[in-house]
Amino acid sequence: MTDTAAQEQRLAKAWARPKGWAYFSDVNNSVIGIWYISAAFAFMLFGGVLALIIRTQLAVPNNNLVSAETYNQLFTLHGTVMMFLFAVPIFEAVAILILPAMLGARDLPFPRLSAFGFWCFLIGGVFVCGSIFFNAAPDAGWFMYPPLSTEQGGIGADIWLLGLSFIEVASIAAAVELIVGVLKCRAPGMHINLTPAYGWYVLVVGAMILFAFPPLIAGDFLFEMERAFDWPFFDVTRGGDPLLWQHLFWIFGHPEVYIIFLPSIALLAMIIPTFAQRPLAGYSWIVLSAIGTGFLSFGLWVHHMFTTGLPSISLGFFSAASEAVAIPTGIQLFVFIATVMLGNVVRTVPMLYCLGALATFIVGGLTGVMLAVAPFDFQAHDSYFVVAHLHYTLIGGMLFPVIAGVQYYYPFATGKLLSRKLGIWSFWLSFIGFNVTFLPMHLTGLLGMPRRIFTYGALRQWGDLNLLSTVGAFIFAAGFLLFVWDCVRPKSSEPNAPRNVWKAGTLEWAGKVPADDWGLRSIPQIDSRYPIWDDKTLLATIDEGKGLLADAKEGRRETLVTSVLDAEPTQVLRVGTPTWLPMLAAIGLGGAFIFPVWKLWWPTLGSALFFLAVVLCWLWTGTAEIPEKQTKDIGDGRRVPLYVAGPQSTGWWAMFITMTGDLTAFLAVLFGYFFFWTIHPDFPPIGIDGPGWQWPMVAAGLAVVTWMATLGARLTNAAGQVTLSRGLLVTGIIAAALTGVALMAGPWTTGLDPTAHSYPAIVWGLVVWIVLHLMAGMIMQAYALARSIFGKLTPRHDADLWNVTLYWHFTGVCALLTALVIGGFPLLQ
Amino acid sequence: MSAKPAHNELERETGYGTDLWRVIAAPVVWALHFLFCYVYGAVYCAKAGRDAPLDQPTIVVIVASLVALALIGLSTLQIWRVRARSLTDNDFEFEHNTPEERHRFLSHVALMLCVLSAVAVIYVTIPMLYLSTCR
Repeated sequence: MTDTAAQEQRLAKAWARPKGWAYFSDVNNSVIGIWYISAAFAFMLFGGVLALIIRTQLAVPNNNLVSAETYNQLFTLHGTVMMFLFAVPIFEAVAILILPAMLGARDLPFPRLSAFGFWCFLIGGVFVCGSIFFNAAPDAGWFMYPPLSTEQGGIGADIWLLGLSFIEVASIAAAVELIVGVLKCRAPGMHINLTPAYGWYVLVVGAMILFAFPPLIAGDFLFEMERAFDWPFFDVTRGGDPLLWQHLFWIFGHPEVYIIFLPSIALLAMIIPTFAQRPLAGYSWIVLSAIGTGFLSFGLWVHHMFTTGLPSISLGFFSAASEAVAIPTGIQLFVFIATVMLGNVVRTVPMLYCLGALATFIVGGLTGVMLAVAPFDFQAHDSYFVVAHLHYTLIGGMLFPVIAGVQYYYPFATGKLLSRKLGIWSFWLSFIGFNVTFLPMHLTGLLGMPRRIFTYGALRQWGDLNLLSTVGAFIFAAGFLLFVWDCVRPKSSEPNAPRNVWKAGTLEWAGKVPADDWGLRSIPQIDSRYPIWDDKTLLATIDEGKGLLADAKEGRRETLVTSVLDAEPTQVLRVGTPTWLPMLAAIGLGGAFIFPVWKLWWPTLGSALFFLAVVLCWLWTGTAEIPEKQTKDIGDGRRVPLYVAGPQSTGWWAMFITMTGDLTAFLAVLFGYFFFWTIHPDFPPIGIDGPGWQWPMVAAGLAVVTWMATLGARLTNAAGQVTLSRGLLVTGIIAAALTGVALMAGPWTTGLDPTAHSYPAIVWGLVVWIVLHLMAGMIMQAYALARSIFGKLTPRHDADLWNVTLYWHFTGVCALLTALVIGGFPLLQ
Repeated sequence: MSAKPAHNELERETGYGTDLWRVIAAPVVWALHFLFCYVYGAVYCAKAGRDAPLDQPTIVVIVASLVALALIGLSTLQIWRVRARSLTDNDFEFEHNTPEERHRFLSHVALMLCVLSAVAVIYVTIPMLYLSTCR
């Protein structure tokens, strides 16, 4: 047997897919990506059916196809499913599938985390969607405004809150995975200026998720405390304010629009150069506008709240920022149009969808600029004009680009081509159907039809336009179904697509057809942005195993970790292999989120403990493993380490990213505290004393002791003083427990009743938040201690301790801030 | 296998100045400015009542905007010395495989973000110049 054949055999063995039932334990990105995309599209079809029922109900005046109650559930679930179960997850799904190949990595750095995210998404999605079959679906609109949603009975709102909080776990997991992937897993030589535009978008969107989703998680936390335990955060009669929810929801909700839009437009940035047969015109402009849009999109949230009676100066700031965001958004569209103009366009179905997407999105963008003008918004608010606007942006900015992406990447994922004829038919049916549905809605809205009404009187003159919209909706659905049929119809008798079927220039097309489980045969050195176009010997280099990591000598799944800016190899990362643990962890966490809907606290606790046990097992057996040798030869005479700790390691970055998101959530809860300060003339309210300053100061001191003990444990361990390090960890655990006790003692001893008023509720809310974090931190300290005792953490191999210390940097700051705010702020009043 | 500079370009001193954090400096200034203006305005109006005049907030916001523009200007100056800093230079593809090219690329993106952030700061300031009360 030749060398190369033996190498290929070892690679194949290391990356082999599990067979039989074990197929569902797979964690490889190419499998998870396809499951993820399929699940997201399945939910999308479900949401589409809901939309068709809505449209049928509205086709004629005074229709009684569905009752008002059912209609409320239909539109709430339609919005919820399309946003949370399709638009956001499809980004994660597509990125998990294509990103590693695009960057020349064998897999993402945390494949098991991807699998965990997928299972969370699937379980949560089925739970939320299934509720409608029991007539128990949420029905207060997809943004769940209190007081309607807090006052109503039933479990609909709880399903929404808990189900979606659970799904958000998947989004945060994906953000961690994708940010680290883009920054640390690029092929050697792929400097940050040579990274595919898609990578930049993923980086920006991943960062946006960290600042956008946590406020919603914090909002869900407050909301569920109100629904389950009657803590009056949003109840005006007891000092709460429904507007707090609107703020938290839209701090999430508006950036989310761009979290959906940017990765979809990123697909255009990959597709258009291929079919224009030239590089993207103005790559740095794309990067500029991606980053610029990412920032500015956080200054827009109040434009959803223009009619809530905020001071006009607040509206002015947000109106101005809403207009400003049109600048970077416009730049991107001009870059695409310029690329099309400068190139020789190949007429293909993906290109058709790209152009359709641009045309549609521009209409949605222009009505967006109109709606950003507050006086116009006062007129059009909550009317069908807004419905038309948001569907133009979402379908032009997300759905059409994603379909273009599926059309384009279908051969990459499956090795087969989609039918050109069906593609053209499906495009024109969808495009015409879409416009017939939504263009008239601008008029319906201007004629005064409010959104979310289940029927309307014949005298209103809205009948003809609505009928037209309904007809359009069915044409649109026919086009979409044609596309779905094209994707799922059996193709085993058809020939495989040729390699690099579209003659693209980026690395994901370097793979063979049918694709190998291990990805690229070897990881090449990258010298340009379009390596396949610029380096004619690239494919041969890859196939002949002349690149890096051409072998899997130890039979392990390995990928390269490179430096952030210049992509110099820094580590061989051994990535996770197939296992049931992620699925079990998702089931456990799912139980912990789903049982509280029925207030079943014991099963909730049981699920949470099961989740904890599985995660500990997962970490203990699968992470920070001490390798059999320090460095490894990756080919080309280069040796790189197998084990790194601290800021060099992917795990440290994952912790950093997770905790950044966690910090944002904490700040959102803290924002609640100060929000209540602004709305109350007396804060703390007269007659409510507490929590006093004494206990919070004790808690602050203890928090610092815990934090320093953990840091000390890392430093002493690194210096070789293992016993001292373990002693410090034990000190840290005890001090953390005492911190929690001291923090609760303040509001407890002063008799703050969280159900009495929003002030004690928010103080307790902050305390509960920190206590939960202290408990997690204690588990981590105990884990590091156990790792040290069992010889899995040594002075040389101390990644676990680095990560635990990093966790405590964040938790220490949050605990300190909480103690200072609840103890000190009342003194300033 | 080693990296080869395209077009026989000379290797130059790269410097360590422009990294990813530096790129987002100007938009971070915008974000802080925006947050400050909004929070300050909202708190002022919540505490002073709806009929309160905006005289003092107008001055505060203008000062904040000048500070923000100065900071963005400072960030721009630091990038100014980087070769190929121009917004409209012929060569703004930045497609060579060298650390210097990466440096120039990030500087170019940072420079454009400075411009965008400055424009956005000015946008956000404008409403303050036209409104006179908290109503």
